[in-house]
Amino acid sequence: MDFQLSEDQEALVSALQSILQDHAELPQAERFSYSYFNADLQRLLGESGFLGAARDIGPLEAALVTIETARLPVLVETAATGLVAPMLLPADGPVDGPVALIAGGAIGKAHRNLPIARTALVDLGEDVAVLTIDPADVEPVASILAYPYGRFRAIPDLAAARRLPGAGARLRQWWRVALAAEVAGAAQAALDFTLDYVKQRQVFGRPVGSFQSVQHRLVQCHAHAQSTYYLALRAAWSGEAVDADCAASLAQQGVQKLLFDLHQFHGGMGVTTEHLLHFWLYRIRALQAEAGGVHGIGLEIAGRMWPAATQATGADAAPQIAEAG
Amino acid sequence: MEFGWAPEQEQYRERVKAALDELLPADWDETYVPESYASDLQVHFSREFCAKLAERGLLVPHWPREYGGNESPDWEHFILGEEMKGAGEPRGPQYMNVNWIGPTLMAYGSEAQKDQHVKGIASGKVIWCQGFSEPNAGTDLAALRTRAERDGDHYVVNGSKIWTSYARTADWCFLLARTGPTRKDISILLVPMDTPGISITSFPGVIKDGHLNEVFFTDVRVPVQNRVGEEGEAWKIVTYALSYERVGVPRYHTGLLALELAVEQLKAEGRWDDDPIVRSRAGSIAARFEGARLLTYRVIDQRVHRLPATTDANLSRIASLEAVSDLMNFLGEFVPDCLAGGDPLLEDYYRINIPAGITGGTNEIQLDLVAQRGLGLPRG
Ligand SMILES: Cc1cc2nc3c(=O)[nH]c(=O)nc-3n(C[C@H](O)[C@H](O)[C@H](O)COP(=O)(O)OP(=O)(O)OC[C@H]3O[C@@H](n4cnc5c(N)ncnc54)[C@H](O)[C@@H]3O)c2cc1C
Repeated sequence: MDFQLSEDQEALVSALQSILQDHAELPQAERFSYSYFNADLQRLLGESGFLGAARDIGPLEAALVTIETARLPVLVETAATGLVAPMLLPADGPVDGPVALIAGGAIGKAHRNLPIARTALVDLGEDVAVLTIDPADVEPVASILAYPYGRFRAIPDLAAARRLPGAGARLRQWWRVALAAEVAGAAQAALDFTLDYVKQRQVFGRPVGSFQSVQHRLVQCHAHAQSTYYLALRAAWSGEAVDADCAASLAQQGVQKLLFDLHQFHGGMGVTTEHLLHFWLYRIRALQAEAGGVHGIGLEIAGRMWPAATQATGADAAPQIAEAG
Repeated sequence: MEFGWAPEQEQYRERVKAALDELLPADWDETYVPESYASDLQVHFSREFCAKLAERGLLVPHWPREYGGNESPDWEHFILGEEMKGAGEPRGPQYMNVNWIGPTLMAYGSEAQKDQHVKGIASGKVIWCQGFSEPNAGTDLAALRTRAERDGDHYVVNGSKIWTSYARTADWCFLLARTGPTRKDISILLVPMDTPGISITSFPGVIKDGHLNEVFFTDVRVPVQNRVGEEGEAWKIVTYALSYERVGVPRYHTGLLALELAVEQLKAEGRWDDDPIVRSRAGSIAARFEGARLLTYRVIDQRVHRLPATTDANLSRIASLEAVSDLMNFLGEFVPDCLAGGDPLLEDYYRINIPAGITGGTNEIQLDLVAQRGLGLPRG
């Protein structure tokens, strides 16, 4: 047991942070956007090897990369591209990214990151389909959820797609690790942003952050962000499915509180798009229902920790969907 | 960074479990645990049990060698605590002795006090109680009114203490008493519980027996040499003492064991397989305990790395408490018979945890500490 980053891990994080610092600024034109994907930074992270961490070093390091990038208000896609895809396709070499993750049962709906994706991994329950995405086939969908959303103009032919037989559980496992890492980073950043705000914003002649009711709720948000951080890293370290489930479950269980309280403490400012808060909060909200959601993942945990004679693990959370297309 | 146990840590856990298997009576779960760890039955048993633990080097392994310990690594001490709590705390009140009373006396006690009490604790046969809280001084401990007035080479103590767990069975009391006029004029006295002038009233409650006592001191004469440290030094010493108890009870461990019992019952009653709501709720609670576990382990890890103490220990308690509250609510909703003639082990779990947010520093104070010292928020 060692909760301290090793020297190499520290070096990785600080090298990454110095790149991120130089590219974290939101361009003037994007000040009022719901989300802003920084394609240049995405390319740079790829070129400087940060998206290859899972393959070159290990999944824990890839999760650290995701946590750090999730702290930025601007978006780069490291979770699926740098962690999930390499863990699912270890023999493939670098996957053409960004990568989008898609629940097969909802293929006709809008998907997170689809407009920027070059590859999509589709959860079919038992199997996974790997799709090559042509941006011309994707119709952007407006959303306050702070990722680019888009839907397929025509439902892709999954039968013709490359298929990874039996890889569904593994996809969901790493999807859960990745989403927990992303929530951990975004929650920490949203909390830091809020702490700065409540320390300087005065009401009744004193800072908002001096009221006990505000303080206590911020501490509870902090506990949630910190627990999610360690659970995500443990799940990346261990490669155990139940650890991934616990990480994602806790990440998603905290969403209600984070969204409500952090919005609350910014008053009216927090509902404007010129205030950065929404970039983090609506990423967290977007991740709330993925890879099973609290209910589905709770069932998976129960199935793994206390299996019932009649119950196949994960049967409720990941129904095998009928072949599409 | 890594999250696994080293082989020697796993072996240590096995060693502790084997000792528990060997030393606990066959009817431990049926007869003793339901009475709870503060009951007279368990406190008496702890004298026998801890003496045997001491013989096996499992009572104070983390202590310095000169006091009978083995200077064992922090993780081993922690693993020992997890397993003891998980087994229903057969050390009874003696977990306090080994965790903080002994170490505090090593640091601040006189030679005579160390000789008598530190050795006594290491033998596993002595019961202590903690005389801090009063009817009008709990969270605001500095408001305490019990007075100790100097009379030659004695103090004369008058006042009362409340919620003094184990008072009925204790040999000694680690007492806080006022020795001067200001809020900080408080001193520590080590008081034999059979001193004339001490009387105890116990009252019933929703938690298990043994905690709810009021202890009255009427002209109780305590030799001056029983004072720990100087007059008025209690705050400094108590702060030191409590730093040993910072992470508190490993509630994720006892919580997951209780959750498992609840699941077994639900399965046996056919209310598990077909009820996805119950299963997903149980799974979600397990995730919360796992989160609390890691926040707690982080504090031990900081200790191992000799990093300065932070409010991360308070944070771990806050996270544990939230999970405990979820579990108690789960029991109330899905296993309500645990409070009405059902599984006595679950009843014990539930009732022990009713004041989980109050004992050892009320949750609101933990939240204040993290907010102000951890997150740097301004005081109100
Ligand atoms: C089972 C049990 C065993 C115990 N064992 C012992 C023992 O062995 N020895 C001993 O000395 N004591 C013991 N205690 C006492 C325990 O330490 C006190 O109950 C605790 O310190 C709280 O004090 P109080 O009960 O007087 O509550 P109060 O101080 O009256 O506080 C009541 C509530 O008010 C709120 N509150 C208080 N201060 C603040 C604040 N600053 N901000 C916001 N909210 C606040 C909190 O919600 C708190 O729980 C035990 C208590 C219990 C329940």
